[in-house]
Amino acid sequence: MNNSAQNALHHPEVQMARAPGYVAGFLIASVLMVIAFVYGTRNGLPTTERDTVLAVIAIVAMTIQSFLLFHLTLSKTQRWHTVAFVLTIPLFALLVGLSMWMFHALALRTMIPGLH
Amino acid sequence: MTSRTTETVEPGEIVLWDARHDSHDRIATRTFGFWLYMLSDAMIFAALFTVYAILGHNYAGGPTAAQILHPGRALIETLVVFTSVLAFGLGMSALKHGNRSAVLNWIAVAFVLGVAFVGLEIQAFAHLANHGIVPQRSAFLSAFYTIVLTHGLHMVFGLLWMAVMAVQVLRDGFTDNVVYRLLNLRIFWHFQAVIWVCVFVFIYL
Repeated sequence: MNNSAQNALHHPEVQMARAPGYVAGFLIASVLMVIAFVYGTRNGLPTTERDTVLAVIAIVAMTIQSFLLFHLTLSKTQRWHTVAFVLTIPLFALLVGLSMWMFHALALRTMIPGLH
Repeated sequence: MTSRTTETVEPGEIVLWDARHDSHDRIATRTFGFWLYMLSDAMIFAALFTVYAILGHNYAGGPTAAQILHPGRALIETLVVFTSVLAFGLGMSALKHGNRSAVLNWIAVAFVLGVAFVGLEIQAFAHLANHGIVPQRSAFLSAFYTIVLTHGLHMVFGLLWMAVMAVQVLRDGFTDNVVYRLLNLRIFWHFQAVIWVCVFVFIYL
């Protein structure tokens, strides 16, 4: 082992920290949240359109955070972090999608309309 | 039976794996393990948000989301938690230069902002509880309290972790153990900002 490998501060995961990246992540996410706030608090928007626009803003914000805060790239250091994350996305889709579908089907058969 | 199976094997000479090429360094192994843990934690939040999507409009005659949620106040909380995450990131940038005082200062800033965030949440929930708006009132309130307080609990544990790390940095300096714990805390603290994006957009807006 050489000196570099023995000094924890020389580890690639320490050295990949980037102040400009963190500042950019902060600014972009903050601006997106302000846009979401201005848009989401307007009255009279169609529900479907409103929910879709807000979901897109949230996904864009989280994607940018994934790159700039979590360094999810294909670099040698981060490759397996990225792979683990990408493979988790279908699990999220299955969990959220199937649960909502099942409860939607349940609600159709059990709930009395208007009794909420 | 072939002659191969009758060969004498010396246990001491068997090579089962190549330690040099397949070994992983301690820091990378531990941060990857913690990353997998955070992904499973994200799955818990996915389940909670799903419940909210299903039950979020079941008010049972009680207060509605529009009556008790304040998006403007939540936006301030959003900026506070984002700034705290930025401060911790800047601390990690100082770590790569081995600047101990800068690391401690940025952790202190992140800590103070984290405490401010938790304080704002406690104040908001105390106000709700004082008006009888409690989790058992409706399915909407059960789901709302569970998600926001689960995130708040993560923030509290993150703050405790920060305090412990500040002591360890002061006491031990940047040893292997301290560095991998700081890297894991970075993952944990940045994760709070990502979850808060969902809380703010899908619940408060």
